[in-house]
Amino acid sequence: MVKIEIDEDACVGCGSCVDDCPNDVYEMDEEKNKTKVVKEDDCMACLSCHEICPAEAMEHKDIHVAKRLYIDRKVSGILKKII
Amino acid sequence: MEYQIEREEKEILGDFKPELIPDACGGGIDDYEEALHVLMKFVGSMSSALEQVSGRGANAIVYQAGKRMGHEAGKMVEKTDELEKAMQELSEILGVEFFFDMWKPTNQTEYTVEKGNETVVKLIFRDCVVRQTLRRTGLPQKGPLCYLLYGYTVGAVEEVMGIKGKLDIDHVGPNACLKTLTIKWGGK
Ligand code: SF4
Ligand code: SF4
Repeated sequence: MVKIEIDEDACVGCGSCVDDCPNDVYEMDEEKNKTKVVKEDDCMACLSCHEICPAEAMEHKDIHVAKRLYIDRKVSGILKKII
Repeated sequence: MEYQIEREEKEILGDFKPELIPDACGGGIDDYEEALHVLMKFVGSMSSALEQVSGRGANAIVYQAGKRMGHEAGKMVEKTDELEKAMQELSEILGVEFFFDMWKPTNQTEYTVEKGNETVVKLIFRDCVVRQTLRRTGLPQKGPLCYLLYGYTVGAVEEVMGIKGKLDIDHVGPNACLKTLTIKWGGK
């Protein structure tokens, strides 16, 4: 079962994840001006929200992570040194 | 003096006869990786060039090509009119590189929804070589290369079940893509 964790300190309340999620997994918490997870069981682990979130504020646990076949190891190696 | 291109790796020399059937691939994992990168870049560029030249028509061309491949692949497996068995066979045809499952939202009780003479099922593609290729080449999803897979899936299902099918894209993401497969009974 997918488990989604939101880092509330990182979330900037832009609402992009709410708009982007095809399954309405998120809703805005108007009081806190942060996103909140409301339909976790409907998450299909597409990770579109990860791609759109400017704050990298969410983590999905226990999901099928798509097999990566075409990593450019040279580029990844350079990135690892920088990040 | 004879000119020779300088290379880091050593050239492999051996004997060869016409009747020799290779029983293993040559090279190591780095060679495969390098070859895959080149191949994927080629495929990606071909797909984007096709779109540039033929516009939206590119999707239709590639869809037909995929469908033909799917029909050919579907001939290799047992025919069935049971959707679950057909999905099992489809997963064997598509192989581990296109790992998919049936998917439904929590408020839906069954995976399939009956609509008149149609059955609708949602498929979630988790591992997909096409997605990897597009991302590797920096190309958007839902383009011609995706249509090749849609055609392939539809062709295989049509062949296995003896029906007419269609596949629509609901959502594409970096880790999974959701599609709706519609099966038209008696629509062949
Ligand atoms: S992974 Fe996809 S389905 Fe899940 S919350 Fe993110 S956007 Fe929604
Ligand atoms: S996209 Fe990220 S920053 Fe924006 S509301 Fe969602 S979690 Fe917060």
